[in-house]
Amino acid sequence: MMAMPGATLSRWTLAYFAAAVVSLLLAEGLMAAGFGYPSAGIRAPETLAVVHCVTIGWMSLLMLGALFQFVPVLIAGPIHDNDLPLPALVLILLGLLTLIASFLQLAGLLPPARATFLIATVLLGAGFTLALWVLGRTLAGAWPLNLPAQFVAVGLASVAATAAFGIIFTLGFGGWAGSPALARLHALGVPLHIIAGLGGWLSFTAIGVSHRLLAMFMLSPELEGASVRWTFRLGCLALAIIIGVGAVVAAAGHDPGWVLALGGLAGLGCLGLYGRDAVQLYRKRLRPLIELNSRMAAIALLHLAAAAILITFCTLSGLLGRSVGALVFLSCFGWLSGLGLAKLYKIVAFVTWLECYGPVLGKTATPRVQDLVVEPRAVKWFWLYFAAVDVATLCLFFGLVHGFRTAAATMCLATAGIALELVRTRRLSNVKEPLRLPQGVREPRLLFTVIAN
Amino acid sequence: MTDFVELDVRPILKAGGEPFSQIMQAVQGLAPGQGLRLLATFKPTPLLNLMRSRGFGHEAHELGGGDWQVDFTPAGNAAAAPAATAAPATAAGDDAWPAPAREIDNRQLDPPEPMVRTLAALEELAPGQVLAALLCREPVFLFQELQKRGHSWRGAFEDAGKTTYRVLIRVGTPPGAAA
Repeated sequence: MMAMPGATLSRWTLAYFAAAVVSLLLAEGLMAAGFGYPSAGIRAPETLAVVHCVTIGWMSLLMLGALFQFVPVLIAGPIHDNDLPLPALVLILLGLLTLIASFLQLAGLLPPARATFLIATVLLGAGFTLALWVLGRTLAGAWPLNLPAQFVAVGLASVAATAAFGIIFTLGFGGWAGSPALARLHALGVPLHIIAGLGGWLSFTAIGVSHRLLAMFMLSPELEGASVRWTFRLGCLALAIIIGVGAVVAAAGHDPGWVLALGGLAGLGCLGLYGRDAVQLYRKRLRPLIELNSRMAAIALLHLAAAAILITFCTLSGLLGRSVGALVFLSCFGWLSGLGLAKLYKIVAFVTWLECYGPVLGKTATPRVQDLVVEPRAVKWFWLYFAAVDVATLCLFFGLVHGFRTAAATMCLATAGIALELVRTRRLSNVKEPLRLPQGVREPRLLFTVIAN
Repeated sequence: MTDFVELDVRPILKAGGEPFSQIMQAVQGLAPGQGLRLLATFKPTPLLNLMRSRGFGHEAHELGGGDWQVDFTPAGNAAAAPAATAAPATAAGDDAWPAPAREIDNRQLDPPEPMVRTLAALEELAPGQVLAALLCREPVFLFQELQKRGHSWRGAFEDAGKTTYRVLIRVGTPPGAAA
């Protein structure tokens, strides 16, 4: 069988997206109900349950689903295996549910059972390994990697590191990690786990991928020059310092604070260069009017800049300990989730269009991609989402628990609005007849892509 | 054993030039059964796809210093070429392509408009005719559609800055329609 040149549509990406959005709605609902921080402590088991619902359920599944579709585009080659992502998704979801149950046991909300942490570890470990296997083998087929693919490769290494820390902590919670070095890592290494996950896996991958996505959807010249290479190198340096050196220092029983500061400096350099490149991409674009996804990605980038400035300011003024919850919240929801929702809105429309109308293009009249969406209706949900995130962040800074819960409920409402728009796009509800289903076009399934050969 | 004609395009690439036409000239000058040994400063992935569609298998090795040697072997030489390289050969054979019957410039269009225009333009051409299209990036999703519709193509970036991708598409007979 001859290998198909070019990129394939990913079969299970939509299922990842659906699971991700449901997880986000669940987490926002829990925050609105006053479950976890700030009503409970920042390291309380209730908080950890919500945090992992967001980071694994929402952001990691969103990123994995996007990568199954996007890595083949980056390397202009086929995906290694288009079926394995489904068992990976099932394993990750079962693992996540078990992990949340384990935290609820720790909180005393469920009867204790020591084995659940171990089961969660095995399920999540297996699911992520399977997903990394598919993406890793896909990348390996395109060696030597181009620059955006190198970002993804480092992101995948970071999620492996995040998972390794997570497994050590989980074993610690379950009382399975006997060695003193592992116990010290559990006590001191939580910032490393957070930075490897939010920084290395989610942000660094998003940075690499967004270079290409922003250029593609705004018709800007691709950035492949020295500045992007230095963004890459400084980011790698920051991650190597924080994850590598930090783990050694923490396992030896020392506070890795100075390692974080050193790595943070390299990280700031990386973000500074990325910010400059992002401005270039928007400035040099060939189309003056940009779509919702690019406009909202710009708002998410502003939140990244705000988060970087605030983290630096709070570190220098000694406020970091008090404000760390607000800063992590701002990074997760203003930057990563904001960018994720914006790109989701475009990717769902694009892959649905390609799946449905690709086979009949040129043979009959077909709708444009933009005919699958109604931006003026969707944009109000995005503005509501970002406004609610900003209010929620301020409430966390100033300790206003009720204000935070109201803002979280508003985020939940806005996310539901966006989710409904995504379902409408997928159902082709916005496409006017008779263009909607010309001869030879089948109505798409909600949760998977039918790939005709 | 395959007899190879060697073509070193590294000097052209280092001078910022585009060796595509030299490579195609060399391919057309090959005797039956002869292979092409190409030396380049990078792994020429688009060329590999193109040569595959013209019935050549390949073996690529990195030479060190970022240089690559790629041996293209005609599919008929079973000993050297993996069976996987059977190309969608056309009834007319793989001789020189006619000059493009139509040229389109899709560089200023938002994705996926370039793909729509290219496929629409192909529908208006007769089998065997060639369409030339200028694009601003490698059209990864277009290749899939071309393959399904039985067209063959060749494409490469025209400049080192990778701002213009030129693809030549020869209209084939739809799969199943040919004997």
